[in-house]
Amino acid sequence: MEAKAMTPVSPEKVATPELKGERVPLGSALYNRIVEFLYEEAALLDQIRLQEWGARLAPDLIYTAPLRETRPMDQLNSSFVRTVQHFHDDWRSVMGRIMRLTGTKSAWAEDPPSRTRRLITNVMVAKTAKPDEFSVTSYLLITRSRFNSPEYDLISAERRDVLRQDGESFKLARREIIVDQAVIGTPNFAIFL
Amino acid sequence: MLTQRSPVLSDNTKVADLISPNTREVQMRALSDPEVYELEMERIFGKVWLLLGHESEIPQSGDFVVRDMGSDSVIVSRDAEGAVNVLLNVCSHRGMRVSTLDCGRTQIHKCPYHGWAFRPNGDFIGSPVAHECMHGKIMSKEELGLKKARVTLYGGLIFATWNINGPSFEEFLGDAKWYYDMLFCRTDRGMEVLGPPQRFIVRANWKTAGEQSAADGFHTLTLHRWLGEVGGYAKKAEGEGGADLSPEMYGVEVSSPHGHALRCIDLGRKIRRLAGMDPDQLSVDQKLHALPPAGMTKEMVGQLAKNLTPDQLKVMAWMPPQVGGMFPNVLFGFVYIPQSDGTIVGSMTLHAYIPRGPDKLEFVNWIFAEKDAPPELREKMLKQTIQLFGTSGMIEQDDSDTWPHMTLSAKGAMGRRMTMKYQAVFETQAPKGWPGPGIVNEGFTKDDTQWHWWLYWRELMTAEG
Repeated sequence: MEAKAMTPVSPEKVATPELKGERVPLGSALYNRIVEFLYEEAALLDQIRLQEWGARLAPDLIYTAPLRETRPMDQLNSSFVRTVQHFHDDWRSVMGRIMRLTGTKSAWAEDPPSRTRRLITNVMVAKTAKPDEFSVTSYLLITRSRFNSPEYDLISAERRDVLRQDGESFKLARREIIVDQAVIGTPNFAIFL
Repeated sequence: MLTQRSPVLSDNTKVADLISPNTREVQMRALSDPEVYELEMERIFGKVWLLLGHESEIPQSGDFVVRDMGSDSVIVSRDAEGAVNVLLNVCSHRGMRVSTLDCGRTQIHKCPYHGWAFRPNGDFIGSPVAHECMHGKIMSKEELGLKKARVTLYGGLIFATWNINGPSFEEFLGDAKWYYDMLFCRTDRGMEVLGPPQRFIVRANWKTAGEQSAADGFHTLTLHRWLGEVGGYAKKAEGEGGADLSPEMYGVEVSSPHGHALRCIDLGRKIRRLAGMDPDQLSVDQKLHALPPAGMTKEMVGQLAKNLTPDQLKVMAWMPPQVGGMFPNVLFGFVYIPQSDGTIVGSMTLHAYIPRGPDKLEFVNWIFAEKDAPPELREKMLKQTIQLFGTSGMIEQDDSDTWPHMTLSAKGAMGRRMTMKYQAVFETQAPKGWPGPGIVNEGFTKDDTQWHWWLYWRELMTAEG
């Protein structure tokens, strides 16, 4: 049987509602710079360089994590709850969280700190109506190790970000973290997702 | 009269002996022993009234949420007549969960396994292929409904118990109801949830959270010390003790023979700052307008007098209940949070700690607002409450990291023989002019309320019948 060349899938056909705009192709210079931003961010968070991470946040940042509910297939959209959420933050409150973690002697939920790895994959980028802003979706798997327990807390999620061009790099202007668990399996979100 | 005959654990220890009344100690073993846990499921979670949610979660006919009573899943549903039902989520046919969802709306709950169908009030409708009669003729349809719990609504909160002929909800609350009314029944239209609850797992025995909710004031000084260290929460104003949170520890603590507990914290310093006047010079009404109850506006203050007595208003304006618990597994927080602009924004939250085995609990966090609260206030309350309480809450994340360690301690061969101590004993009584009932003491926080929680635990665990 003659092997057929695979027809490339048009990005528009698999666009999620979060990626309405023209897709920025994988491997393009812009795509690579965005992925690099996400990798650097993951490194800063995993190394608990929170103030450096904070410097990458736009002052109009919105940072949220919807609840999930177990709903039937035909109500899939209602499984995302954006009334009460796990995070409902802005730049000021995220900086407040950073201040608590770095500027006090008693942020016990992360002192001693968790050992984490933020693994970021499946990155897709689209242009938006604003020339300097890009929609970026990615998959996130966090392994979180606390104290001397050999077991990991796993947090799997999709990030829906808006990155804004800032010189050679970017600022994070919007992050929605769609966690997969309806009942979260780690005792708190004292870490950033 | 209730007779006491303590159950005996497999090593011949009496459950009653886990508590030492003379020295006010509780053996750590109570926090880890699987036999104790199994007894609790029957003697506590099978007996008392349990919080399952709020009726604003299921406003319309057919609406339902799936919740837990101890180790049992239940369907909380509104039927065609508008009544709220609590049904064991166990199909009367083969025991499959009738609902595997978190919530929804339906007039027919159909079991996914063999198709037995039930109404939102639990009545059995029938099984598929009616003429072949899958459900047989041995039992009547009336006998094949879902098992129903006894339900009560209080301030819209849904409580249920399996103790069908036991004490009423009012008897269960006892004197504590006078205070809870000030939180849940204070406005004309009542409160509502701002959304479904947050849920997450903490690897800890449910009682680590339950007994702390019975008004542990002391832990705030150390575990939540950061509140005095940074940002808008820092107590920097003169006379407020710098980074010292101890001024917040003064007030009145109320407990009850049924393990309910409330910390009524003095608002005097906040009112003095907001009104610029000595609170003693202000009337009850002036104080309530200077600092409306957590979650209310000045415009809503007029509603209070219609729903509460003058004595309750006096306490509301003086030392309102701000944190506390409802036995066995509920925490309430109706707190006044200082903002960076000098104003105060309230948070209204309730938690239930669902036992998920001897060393695991599910933390369920509901966030509330008064139905009459304006949209800007609701938005502020929602954000603030999420930022301070629950999953990512900057206050409660420290608690959820502490309870697992107590649970680990309680598993040690030596550790489980150690005791938790509740030996800080009030030597005061109610302050002069205190109009409220219950076991009341004023001053710096003490351990009495938590000790009373344990005494009721012991009473239920050793009660016969």
